[in-house]
Amino acid sequence: MKKNSQIMRTEGISLRFGGVLALSDVSVNVGQSEILAIIGPNGAGKSCLLNCMNAFYHPQKGQIYFEDTEITGLRPHRIAGLGVSRTFQGIQLFPGLSVIENLLTGRHVYMKTNPITDFLYRPWTHRQEMRERRRVEEIIDFLEIKDIRHQIVGSLSYGLRKRIDLGRALAMDPKMLLMDEPLAGMNLEEKEDIARFVIDIREAMDIPIVIVEHDMQVVMDIADRIYVLNWGNIIAEGTPDDIKQNREVIQAYLGEEG
Amino acid sequence: MAISEEVKKNWSNIPDVLTQGVQTLPQLLLYQADRYGDRVLHRKKDFGIWQCFTWNAVVEEVKTFAMGLASLGVKRGQTVGMIGENEPELFWSQYGILALGAKGTAMYPDLTAEQMEYMLVHSESVMVVCEDQEQVDKVLEVEEKLPKIEKIIYWDDKGMWKYNHPKLLTFNQVQDMGREYLKAHPNLFEEEVAAGQGDDIAVLSYTSGTTGLPKGCIMTHHGIYDSVLRIIGATDMKPFTQYLSYISPAWATEQMFGITMGLLLPLVVNFPEEPSTVTENIREIGTEALVLTPRQWESLASLVESKMMDAGPIRRGLFKWGMAVGEKVNLALLEGRSIPFLARCLYPLADKAVLHPLRDNLGLQDAYYAVSGGAGMAPDVFRFFHIMGVKLRNVFGTTEMGLFTLHQGDTYDLETVGKWMTVHPHLGPELEFKVSEKGELLIKGGNGFAGYFKNEEATQEVYRDGWYYTGDAVNITDKNEIVYLDRVKDMRELSTGHRFPPQFIETRLRFSPFIKDAMTLGDKDKPFVAAFINIDIGTLGPWAEQRKIGYTTFTDLSQNRKVREEIVKEIVKVNYFLPEGSRVKRFINLPKELDPDEDELTRSRKLRRGYLEEKYSDFVSSIYSGKTDFNAEVPVKYQDGRTGTLNAVVYINDLVEGGGQDQ
Repeated sequence: MKKNSQIMRTEGISLRFGGVLALSDVSVNVGQSEILAIIGPNGAGKSCLLNCMNAFYHPQKGQIYFEDTEITGLRPHRIAGLGVSRTFQGIQLFPGLSVIENLLTGRHVYMKTNPITDFLYRPWTHRQEMRERRRVEEIIDFLEIKDIRHQIVGSLSYGLRKRIDLGRALAMDPKMLLMDEPLAGMNLEEKEDIARFVIDIREAMDIPIVIVEHDMQVVMDIADRIYVLNWGNIIAEGTPDDIKQNREVIQAYLGEEG
Repeated sequence: MAISEEVKKNWSNIPDVLTQGVQTLPQLLLYQADRYGDRVLHRKKDFGIWQCFTWNAVVEEVKTFAMGLASLGVKRGQTVGMIGENEPELFWSQYGILALGAKGTAMYPDLTAEQMEYMLVHSESVMVVCEDQEQVDKVLEVEEKLPKIEKIIYWDDKGMWKYNHPKLLTFNQVQDMGREYLKAHPNLFEEEVAAGQGDDIAVLSYTSGTTGLPKGCIMTHHGIYDSVLRIIGATDMKPFTQYLSYISPAWATEQMFGITMGLLLPLVVNFPEEPSTVTENIREIGTEALVLTPRQWESLASLVESKMMDAGPIRRGLFKWGMAVGEKVNLALLEGRSIPFLARCLYPLADKAVLHPLRDNLGLQDAYYAVSGGAGMAPDVFRFFHIMGVKLRNVFGTTEMGLFTLHQGDTYDLETVGKWMTVHPHLGPELEFKVSEKGELLIKGGNGFAGYFKNEEATQEVYRDGWYYTGDAVNITDKNEIVYLDRVKDMRELSTGHRFPPQFIETRLRFSPFIKDAMTLGDKDKPFVAAFINIDIGTLGPWAEQRKIGYTTFTDLSQNRKVREEIVKEIVKVNYFLPEGSRVKRFINLPKELDPDEDELTRSRKLRRGYLEEKYSDFVSSIYSGKTDFNAEVPVKYQDGRTGTLNAVVYINDLVEGGGQDQ
């Protein structure tokens, strides 16, 4: 694992909503192929940090670098084009489309044709369709959703929809994957599935994954490194074992003298 | 018995390979590949598209894999384990292993690591071919206890990216080694294949063994051929039939169908994408032939039932009507009766509106050869598919002696397991059978039983003087067909020494719409079989009303003379399939419903026999003391928890002596 080289880093970013300081002077870095978890109590600013990373929010202060290029202030679709893909806490899929169609939307950044040529269905449109469908099928194979590939997403269970959401993010062939609470609202079996896929993604595709999650058990099991946020500040950073021992973290979660 | 013209005709559809020196499966593969070359043998859905493998392509895969194994040191007579879902690689592995003169241990993919360990150790396997991470993990878990295993080969590398074990190799790596090896030994493959003999061991099939350790049943090449030729003789299957390979080759039946008949007939063998996509895949490939277990057919049937329950009233009504017409027509065809005129007129409409779409949705539209393997599937499930227009047949046999009987032709008896099949004269004498005093089926003939691997004692126990003791309790009908009753060990014995199958009787009785539950009585202290019947007031109530039979309560209805006569008819139907002495002689309609709240049934509606015999002890004694009626007092518990006593005159009903086979 190339832990030293970084793919993304934030330098002293602060984010403010009116009088609320959501992030204050936060610096994190993401290694080339690590599973990095960001944890913290409710309202600690975890999702805000993730939203800054893919430019949903723009921090008032500080810089964000992706592959040594500054990306602070870029529009989200530009960030996506650079290879940062993400899944959402609430599911953002097209419920009326099939699984395959939803995954194909993830391939949109790679499609070169326009509606007119598509309507005329020229040979290159055909070739493009074959190519993109093939990639989508590889992801279907990877995520073990072959039995539902033709089903309408709206008819699927929550756990499966989360998996499709992950599939859509992967369909972009990202250089880095951000996951916002991928395990929220899942049962134990679904959690185990997703946890396994997260590990598989790292092993098979060798991309770094930043994961914001409440489920400590899973985080401690799969993360290589953890940042702990509390009230917009990084209060600890280290391996899962370090974090488990950290007094400040225990206090943040359980309160004083907890 | 002379071989019938029809059987000869069916055999003449396939090349007479036996007289041309083709003895083993790999020899058959090469022989047929010469004839069929570029036609398709295997199909597998991968990345959403059906990929085809021609005969030549399969030979190439098998050859390189076999040579890879040879380069790794696999020798004639050794064993290689195989475990995974049905995929082309599993079949190729087996052909490759056999090509070297080695034998395969076919294992079910859902075995636990411990079960797998037992089989790999007992079969003395030197390598194991696994499908994927799941199977490799199981092998690695018990790897320390498998000193003989030199290599663990897998073909699906998903999740295997970070595995770094010295014994691990991928299927493709083995094939690459084979290609290298072929450069130095260009004719080795053909030589090894040619050296095979018909009575070499092909596969060890471990029986599940409900008692004691599993036994490794030896299947020789000729033994497998024998069964396949029996099947081919009994059916007019067309070459290049689209076959769905779904049951595991660890089950002898798939060794005969997918693995061997696939080469011999030949079939186009289609592999489902995943076990979970099978219903979809059946439909995509337009399956023409398929073999499923009784359990799988039952679940298909209940899938239809449950989907129809969810449908709206109009659709449900239409479905009911279509099935009713289908029943009148298709069941009449099956039973050889003439079709009522009205039903004949309505059938095209019913087929178009209901039956055809139903078959189409299940993917069974083209399935002209649908088989349930094993014994003991309820005739009602068979009927369900027949009504729909799918001619579902039963094939019955044992791993040890091959397949014996099959529902043949267009009209056959669903209560039996089918007609006897014919043994090819090259492969052994005609099948003979008899029923022992215990009611056990004994079979002789064909290629015989090759024994359990390294277990002479167990072999002796079931195979004596050429007779194989099946352990199945059966009855023979007057047409010389077998009715499967139960396993012999599940039979109960009466004081007269006769044995009877309680499960068989009770499940058949429950098929009657008038009977909700039934419990048989009979043990070593009782001279005959008797039954408690819990009538179904839901169906008998309206039945009585239609016939202007007045009744007040459940108790009253249950003891009504006409109702009792109706139950007699139902019991007579079941008695028909039982040998004299095992038939139900007397029964009582219970005056109250069996109720889980009173501990008479478990919550899943299983009978609590011991408790029932105790609670209804005066019923039991009345039956066996020969009374015809008596005053019963049954304690009852009301819903609010109060208890009371139900007093009623209860009649004991006799069945006509002889069980009414003539009725």
